[in-house]
Amino acid sequence: MSIPITLNRKDFVSDQTVRWCPGCGDYAILASVQKTLPDIGVPKENIVFISGIGCSSRFPYYMNTYGIHSIHGRAPTLATGLAIANPELSVWVVTGDGDGLSIGGNHLIHAIRRNINLNILLFNNRIYGLTKGQYSPTSRTGTKTKSSPMGSLEQPLNPIALAMAAEATFIARSIDAHTQHLNETLMAASQHKGISFVEIYQNCVIFNPNEWIGLDDRRVRDENILYLEHGKPMIFGKDMDKGIRLNGFRPAVVQLGNGITEDDLLVHDETSTQLAFILASMEFPEFPAPMGVIRRVEKQTYTDGLMNQIETARQIKGNGNLRTLYESADLWTVTAKDQNGVASKQTGQLSLEVDEEYVDELDKEPEVTTAMQDRLIEDTIAALSPKAPITIDVSASLAKAVRQMNTHRIGCLVVTDAHDKLVGIFTEKDVLHRVVGLVEDLETAVIADYMTPDPIALKANLPIAQALHEMHMHGFRHIPLVDDEHRPEGIISFRDVVHHLKERFA
Amino acid sequence: MSLKEELKSERVSHLDLSRFCQIVSGTAVRQSLANMRQNKTNVCLITKENALIGILTERDVLTKVATNPANLNRTVDDIMTANPITVTPDTSAADALWLMDEKQFRNLPVVDRDGKIKGNMTHQAVISFLAARYPVEVLNRPPRPDHFPHKQEGG
Ligand code: SF4
Repeated sequence: MSIPITLNRKDFVSDQTVRWCPGCGDYAILASVQKTLPDIGVPKENIVFISGIGCSSRFPYYMNTYGIHSIHGRAPTLATGLAIANPELSVWVVTGDGDGLSIGGNHLIHAIRRNINLNILLFNNRIYGLTKGQYSPTSRTGTKTKSSPMGSLEQPLNPIALAMAAEATFIARSIDAHTQHLNETLMAASQHKGISFVEIYQNCVIFNPNEWIGLDDRRVRDENILYLEHGKPMIFGKDMDKGIRLNGFRPAVVQLGNGITEDDLLVHDETSTQLAFILASMEFPEFPAPMGVIRRVEKQTYTDGLMNQIETARQIKGNGNLRTLYESADLWTVTAKDQNGVASKQTGQLSLEVDEEYVDELDKEPEVTTAMQDRLIEDTIAALSPKAPITIDVSASLAKAVRQMNTHRIGCLVVTDAHDKLVGIFTEKDVLHRVVGLVEDLETAVIADYMTPDPIALKANLPIAQALHEMHMHGFRHIPLVDDEHRPEGIISFRDVVHHLKERFA
Repeated sequence: MSLKEELKSERVSHLDLSRFCQIVSGTAVRQSLANMRQNKTNVCLITKENALIGILTERDVLTKVATNPANLNRTVDDIMTANPITVTPDTSAADALWLMDEKQFRNLPVVDRDGKIKGNMTHQAVISFLAARYPVEVLNRPPRPDHFPHKQEGG
C-alpha cells in the first residue's frame, strides 16, 4: 500500500534567487504554478519543466522539480521525446512569444499537431525582454521599439488561432494579474490528456509595461474580459450587462435589455471548432478578451497511438533485434582524412563590458505612482504596529490551546518549540476544520498534530506589499512575524493590513 | 489615490464575495460544521424560506462549540448570530468596509432588495482587490521574500 503524500507550495520553491526584473509578471505566474502543482495529483518526481531561451525560460531554475533550460525554440522537441519515453510524466513547456512563435515556431506547431501529452505555457508580453526590447512576433503593427523605431511593419501572429490551425485539443487563455483565473486555467490544463496550450498575457514591466492596460487592472478588467464557461451564454461586464451575439458570420457586442436577452447570445461550446476560431479572432479592445478554456476535445495522444502501433507490430512480427536491423541495410565505413584547420578571422574575444540598458530602463521615472503604490512599497510591516503573539508550546494539548484562545479572545496561536522558535500556527480555522466534532478528547490530543507546521513567516522590515501577497495568494488570515532567529515577535491579520491602508489616508 | 477613493467607485458586488456557504434553519450544528468543512469556508449563512436569518462563523465555533461540545447536537439557530446587518449589492465597497470597521465585523452579508443572498463581504475581498489592482507591487513578488534580486538585470 502506498501512503499518499500531501505536497504544498513550498515543495515546489527552489533555492535559486529569482532574477527577473522587480515587478515582472513572471513572478505572479511562478507563484500561481507553485500554488497549483500540489493539487494536480502527480508526484513531484514525475513533474518536469522544459524551457527554451528568454526571460520566461528561466522558469525551470525556480521550480524545485526536474527541469531543462534547453535550446532556443526547441523546448517542444525535448518535451516531445520525454513525454513519449515516459508517459507517466507531467511535462510542462514554458516559452514566450519570441522563443515559441519565432525561433521555435515550427517546433511548437508540430508538437501541438501531434497531440503530445504536454502542457505548453506561452507567456505573451509582445516584446523581446531578454534582448532588451525589440518587437516580437506578437507585437501590434506600428509598435515602436528599439528595432522598429518608426513602428513595426509586420502583422502580429495570433497564438490561439495558430494553436487552432494545429488542431490543439486544449486551448486556453489567462493573464498574470488574475491569480484565481490563472490557477483554475492551469489546473484545467494539467487535467487534460494530450496537448494543452495556454496563452498567458504577461506584463514586461521594463520594456512593454502598458501592453495589457484594460485587462490587468482590477478596476476595469471585468468590464473587458469575457470569462468563458462551457454551456453558458457569453455574458460579460462588471455588472454582467453585456453579451456576445452572432450577426451572420460576425460576433458583435450587445447590451442586454431593450429586448435583448440571454437567449440571443452565443453559448460557449468547448467542442466547437468553428466557435473556437471565432473566439480566437476576437481581439481586445474591439472585443472583450476571451479568457478561460476556449477549446477542449478528446483525441488519441501521439504516445498512445505509437504504443498501439508498436504492440501491433510486435504481435505480427515478434520482438525486434537491433543487430539484425543494423545489418539489414547497406553499411558505410567512415575513415579519417588529413585536413588543415580553417583559420578564423575573428579573435573569439567576448565583450566584457556590462550592458547598461536594463539599468537605464529601470532608472527611468516610474509613470504614474499613486499614493497607494507608495504605501504598499514604502511602508513596512512594522508600520502596522503588529500585536504581540500569544505563543503556545508544541507539546500542549488541544484543550489548552482552545482555552488560551478563548481567554485571550484571539483567533490565532503561534506555536513554538523548546528554543522558542516558530514551528507552527494554530487558528480558529483549524478549530473549525480539524478539531470540533472530529477529535474525541481534546485533553489528550496534541496541538502539534493539528497546527499548520512551518507556516509562512515574514520579517517586520519587509514592505506591506509582501504581506498582501501572502494573504492574497494563500488566503492566510494571520501571518506571524519572526526575528532573525525565527522567534515569533508579532502577528498580523487581514484586518490589520486593511485597517492600516484605510487609516493612513483618513 | 487613497483606499477610500479606490473603493468608492466600486460597488460591493464587484468584489469577490464567494466566501460563505448556506444552510437552512433547523439544521444541527454538527451538520452545519460538516457543510462548512466540505465547502472549505469559515462562514455559514442561515436561511429560512430563502431569507437570511443568521450567520455562523469560525469565531462562534471556537467560543461556543469547542468549549461546549454538547452544542453540536443543538440546531444552528441556537448558536448563530441572528438578524445580521446586511448591505445591498450596489452599496459602494468603501461604505461597506467602513461599516465593517465601525461595527467590528469580519463578515457583511450582501442581500439584494428582493432578499436574495448575493454574497459575503470580507476583509479578504479587499485584500484580493488590492492585489489585483496593484499586481506589479503585490503579485509580482518572488516566492521567497528574502530572495529578492540584488542586481536588476532582467531575464
Ligand atoms: S525584461 Fe521584461 S519579461 Fe524580462 S524579466 Fe524584465 S520585466 Fe520580465
